[in-house]
Amino acid sequence: MKILPLIASLTFAILATANLSLKEEGSAEMQLELDSLARVGSVMVDGDVCQKIVTERAKQFLFASDPRDEFLAGDNYDVDDAAFNSVKKTLIRLSHLAPFPADVNLWMPIEGHRGKIHLVIRNKNEMSQFWNWGELYGDMAPQMESVLKTGQRITVTSKPGWISVLAPVYNSLGDVVGLIEAVSRVNVDAHENVK
Amino acid sequence: MNRLPAPFLFLVLMVISCQGLLAADLDALPEFLRSDPFGAIVAPDRGAANLSSSLYGTQHRIMLTGCRGGYVSFQLVVKLPSPSDYTVDVAIPDRTNKVQIDLFREWFHFTDSDRRYYPDALIPVHGTYSSHLPEPDNRIRQQTAQAFWVDVYIAPDTRPGILSGRAQLKAGAKITILPIQLTVLASIIPGEDVVTIDHNSYGSSWLAQQFATSYQHNPDHWFESEQFFRLIHAYHRLFYEHRGIFHQLGYGHSGKVAPEFAPLLEGSGRAKHITSWSLYDRHYGPLFDGMAFSASRRGSRPIPFVYLPINPEWPASYEFWGEAGYEAEFVNVVSQIERHFREKGWTHTNFEVFFNHKKRYKGFPWDGDEVRFPEDLKYFLEYGRLLKKALPADTPVRFVFRADVSWDMEQQFKMLEGVVQLWCASGGILSFYKDAPKMLRKRGDVIWYYGGPPRVTDSSAAITELPLRAWLWGVNGFVHWLTVSPGEDPWFHFNGGQTALVYSVERFGLNEPIPSIRLKIQRDCLQDLVLLDSFKGDKSLDALRAGAARKYNDSTPDDWWNPRPALADLPSDRWLGSAIDDATKHTRQALRDPGASGWYNVHQYALSLQAEAK
Repeated sequence: MKILPLIASLTFAILATANLSLKEEGSAEMQLELDSLARVGSVMVDGDVCQKIVTERAKQFLFASDPRDEFLAGDNYDVDDAAFNSVKKTLIRLSHLAPFPADVNLWMPIEGHRGKIHLVIRNKNEMSQFWNWGELYGDMAPQMESVLKTGQRITVTSKPGWISVLAPVYNSLGDVVGLIEAVSRVNVDAHENVK
Repeated sequence: MNRLPAPFLFLVLMVISCQGLLAADLDALPEFLRSDPFGAIVAPDRGAANLSSSLYGTQHRIMLTGCRGGYVSFQLVVKLPSPSDYTVDVAIPDRTNKVQIDLFREWFHFTDSDRRYYPDALIPVHGTYSSHLPEPDNRIRQQTAQAFWVDVYIAPDTRPGILSGRAQLKAGAKITILPIQLTVLASIIPGEDVVTIDHNSYGSSWLAQQFATSYQHNPDHWFESEQFFRLIHAYHRLFYEHRGIFHQLGYGHSGKVAPEFAPLLEGSGRAKHITSWSLYDRHYGPLFDGMAFSASRRGSRPIPFVYLPINPEWPASYEFWGEAGYEAEFVNVVSQIERHFREKGWTHTNFEVFFNHKKRYKGFPWDGDEVRFPEDLKYFLEYGRLLKKALPADTPVRFVFRADVSWDMEQQFKMLEGVVQLWCASGGILSFYKDAPKMLRKRGDVIWYYGGPPRVTDSSAAITELPLRAWLWGVNGFVHWLTVSPGEDPWFHFNGGQTALVYSVERFGLNEPIPSIRLKIQRDCLQDLVLLDSFKGDKSLDALRAGAARKYNDSTPDDWWNPRPALADLPSDRWLGSAIDDATKHTRQALRDPGASGWYNVHQYALSLQAEAK
């Protein structure tokens, strides 16, 4: 009779290992898909249009603060809707290249504020490995800085279960003016960020 | 150290213990005076301490008076100077069972901001309550007082007259009895409120956090479980029983829709269609036909308002915005929704097409909520057109386009006439436009204003200012922007409760939300408002409003409005947030804080009018 628990334990261990390796396999596949998507995105997303999205007024107020007006920066955040829509549509179409739920987000550095970056366009799965919900701008992650400097794609899996591929966005001068984050999760949370 | 002889020690202990029990006391307080765990009135309510004896008649009898179809509330405070067991119960025997008592233990929250205790969460007590002071779970070492909230419900068909009852405390051998006399008046509080009070919330992930044990039992399927939907219905029921309504927004700022808030879609372009109503109907069916409320005292009634999942990314994909595909997806799916609701007979609820997103959250290039930049209004006009195209002109299903407005509201009232029918306006900015409520209601629109609950560290009656303002202004309602988020540890490190009027209480073994003192006081205020309003056949509405404002804080109805500031003539994108604050200075100065007694005076005014009318 003692053998039964042993068999059960072994079966459980085998199934768990198989499940883990399946997950790892799936995750590796997802990385490949996202990398391929980001590679295409790098040539499809128009950096010149991206540079027109955030208005001068929004940029001026991005770092403004007033103790009597805690929402000063956010209340002045504005975008050029034609430029926004044009790039957003491209990002959505890019996300269809993945055979699983994925988002492609646009990030741009902030002129005059080294080390800072802001998310400019998010998408419907509300996924990002870098965005802290609600923030107008944040500190630039080293991987983002690297993409902006080198123009090389980088895969980031810092958060368990998350995969992001960062890829450069170019303008007509050949400058890297931003980056896209092609992102997905091994286990999608249907309720996260519905708020 | 010399050891004391055991018999002597026993005697000393007996004397100390008996002294404590001899001093055991049961006190009754009006609803507006909150006790702390040491038997003192909490600081913000002390200005109304003169009310402390207002409940008592001769022979230390608790005298209660109430209209039918509503509640009379008061508080009991058990005081035990030394640690001891005790039992408390309240009864007003009524053979017809039309008068019912709801007893709640008040939880004392430790608030970090001022390091004091305030009662707010109300834990239901069924029958007699037996416990020990200090209360083991509230963990207040020196606690000498425990407060209880008592709701006396008087059914609409109760026979008017006088009923007797008593509140009783047993501590050791001592029994303290407070006799109660309840006078049931002939007047019936109308069931339909004159002011709609909405309690808003976002998504449903907070339910998994607040009911973590339940969620952990079934994490993969919890959001589809009967338990989950029962819980949502329990929130609706709790607010409904307190004369309020509950909203849950089902999508995020980039358009992600949680599955239980929308039917399932498939396809793209002209092929996009609904494939399943399963989760949606389980969620909303009992709310739209009213069966979720069948066991409530107010009876079954369909919820009057609900958010639809419609947003720029649902049902049409934003990928096609401005193209034929967007129009096809939007119109076809919304038409299917209308058909489904019509077939189900869900024709009593207002289904809100509402855009909550803001551009600062980076999902879309226009503000759906609180438009500041006038060029964003073209999107509203376009959705108005699409909606019109999707719905049959004679549909019995009530679709309403809702807009939450602040900066640009005056322009929106003009430009979106005939498009938007439900307005939810910033209270501060609406206070510049005294004529707006009348103008909007005259053309058939509904107008609410929004804000948030007061803290527990404000006076008990602070919450009554919100419905009173709505009634004085002549708007249809008020929205608490968030009411289900009590913070990480409301029990021992409370943030004050500005985003909560209810609590989740898995810790007490309950799988339902529980009310708060503030929610109870708000309900009682709403009862008084509807009663006051019902006298408008005898007196003009203006006179009733003037009377209530005077009783509340010695103000006039005009004091509740601000003069139109110069900035109102500037384009809203040139306003500064700080200038809005300056422009609302008038009301802040003119409206004296009435403290805890403000609503007591209005309540007495309503009762006096009732007596006059009789």
